[in-house]
Amino acid sequence: MDEKKNIIVLKDVAKHYSMGHTIIKAVNGINLKIKEGDFVAIMGPSGSGKSTAMNLIGSLDVPTKGEIYLDNHNICHLSESDLAQVRGRKIGFIFQQFNLIPNLTAKENVMLPMIFQEVKEAEREERAQKLLETVELKERINHYPSELSGGEQQRVAIARALANDPEVILADEPTGNLDTKTGEKVMDFLNKFNEKGKTVVMVTHDNELAQGHAKIIYWLKDGKINKITKKGKSGWKSIKNGK
Amino acid sequence: MISKESVKYSIKNLKKRKGRSLLTIISILFGITTIFIFVSFGLGIYSYVNNFVTGSTADKITIMPKGSGVPGLDQTFALTENDVRAIERTPGVYQVEGMKWGVTEIYQPGARKYAFVVGYDPEKTMLLEWGSVQIEKGRNLKTEDRDMVVLGYNYMFDDKILPKGLDINDKIRINERDLTVIGFFSSIGNPADDSQIYLSNDFFSELFPEVVGYGMILVRADISELDRVVENIEKSLRQSRGLEEGKEDFTVSSFKDMLESYTSALDIIIGFIVMIALISVLVSAINTANTMVTSVLERTKEIGVMKSIGARNSEIFKLFLFESSLLGFLAGVLGVILGATLTLIGETILFQLGYGFLKPSYSFWLFLGCILFATITGALSGIFPALNAARTNPVKALRYE
Repeated sequence: MDEKKNIIVLKDVAKHYSMGHTIIKAVNGINLKIKEGDFVAIMGPSGSGKSTAMNLIGSLDVPTKGEIYLDNHNICHLSESDLAQVRGRKIGFIFQQFNLIPNLTAKENVMLPMIFQEVKEAEREERAQKLLETVELKERINHYPSELSGGEQQRVAIARALANDPEVILADEPTGNLDTKTGEKVMDFLNKFNEKGKTVVMVTHDNELAQGHAKIIYWLKDGKINKITKKGKSGWKSIKNGK
Repeated sequence: MISKESVKYSIKNLKKRKGRSLLTIISILFGITTIFIFVSFGLGIYSYVNNFVTGSTADKITIMPKGSGVPGLDQTFALTENDVRAIERTPGVYQVEGMKWGVTEIYQPGARKYAFVVGYDPEKTMLLEWGSVQIEKGRNLKTEDRDMVVLGYNYMFDDKILPKGLDINDKIRINERDLTVIGFFSSIGNPADDSQIYLSNDFFSELFPEVVGYGMILVRADISELDRVVENIEKSLRQSRGLEEGKEDFTVSSFKDMLESYTSALDIIIGFIVMIALISVLVSAINTANTMVTSVLERTKEIGVMKSIGARNSEIFKLFLFESSLLGFLAGVLGVILGATLTLIGETILFQLGYGFLKPSYSFWLFLGCILFATITGALSGIFPALNAARTNPVKALRYE
């Protein structure tokens, strides 16, 4: 057995939505264990339930059925506020559309998650500054999102995701809105973060991107894990569903 | 916790939607300005009245004849020297002064005006005390002064009563006699009283032989027993005039009585106007709520993002509540500034028109109260939109375009 601890565990997780009289089973019985330091990609065509899975992993949503453990704590029964706290502390989100707050500067955007964790102001400033330097945006610190290129915005988003030193980064199509070159640069930062022993979970439909960076790929289809592939020394090999 | 960033965030959001923020602020502002103006003028009138209650007017009782015409000019039930004697003998009465009232025409080239003429006893200071006035310029009359006159405040200025203002030693023609101006009273604060002409009682009788009775009798009485003295005077006058109770042809009233009826009328008027202003603020609160609802909708995605990076519901709630409170606060501050400016302009205009007693009075609490009220209005109208924002489902919000 791997001695690394499980950071995220999904047990028989299902998420059903009702639309009128029909029930949509967006996620229908997923089991997975993500270990500390993993770089996981969740792959699948649109409608496969990968976005829903991502929301569940990120504790943005609670499952209809099953249990989710984040760092060994069951998060299914937490109140919305506690969930927000856990999310803010343990998870950093990166979105396809960057999702920066347009009225705040790069630095203020990075400081925002720290406000919600009640980090002191001086520390917020210092850490935001450092993080923006890490993503090579030292010169753009006081710029507003509208004054930044897509790549720059996504790097601000990465800095923001790292603000509270989370255990996991959840990236939803992080390069989806970027050209290849800029996308690569963004992926470099995610790789660096992973190399420091932190966990990255990336949702994508881009096979090349998943295989190029992830170590494990969960392939989703119709709300279920269809297969799991793992990167070995001799390339990718299929392993069984982790049930 | 309201952090520096969230304050900045709110201000930036209001700035970004400048037009809408401004309209919302204006809608609250009008109500606040109206309240400020009426309350400040109300306070001014109350303090003016209060000066009388506590000042030299407070111990005065006035006796006026009943009549169908202008008070004091109607000779039907004129008060006589006999009545003055009867009042003087009444317990609690310290001093009595009868005043004669007449009307005259005054001329200046190109102008013909009518003015009230008051005859009084210059040896007694009661008239001056009653009106809370002093001699502004020149000197007061003496009993023996003939062909001399003291004028109300407004005669000093051009175009207030006569085209050309008068000065000491100028002449004024009354009943075919040229009288010398020897003094001016200070302002009483309303155009009627400030346009009067004053003569000594003796000279008044010479000039207006047809006025036989007094138009008004002024009494200085024991201030601790005013109500009883009023009753005593009524009794004395009934006896001296041979009238039954309930059939008096005169009225006796202490200044306190007059002020009480005056201030209770004032209470109603100011209360009514402030109530209308409050309704307008209520309407603007609905407008503010509408603004905030739109603002929450527009920022649905932002709310989702903030929730995803760890914002608790309470923080989202505070953020939006703060924003609507800020709208209210800004409206309050601008409202009192506008209100203060308008009341100052109003005061100047009213003074020019001769209504110097109508002047606003400001208190720290008025400023604070208006700003606080506006802020609370903003906050209350933001509660429901802020609750909506706080309850937004983050997953749906992130998908919102």
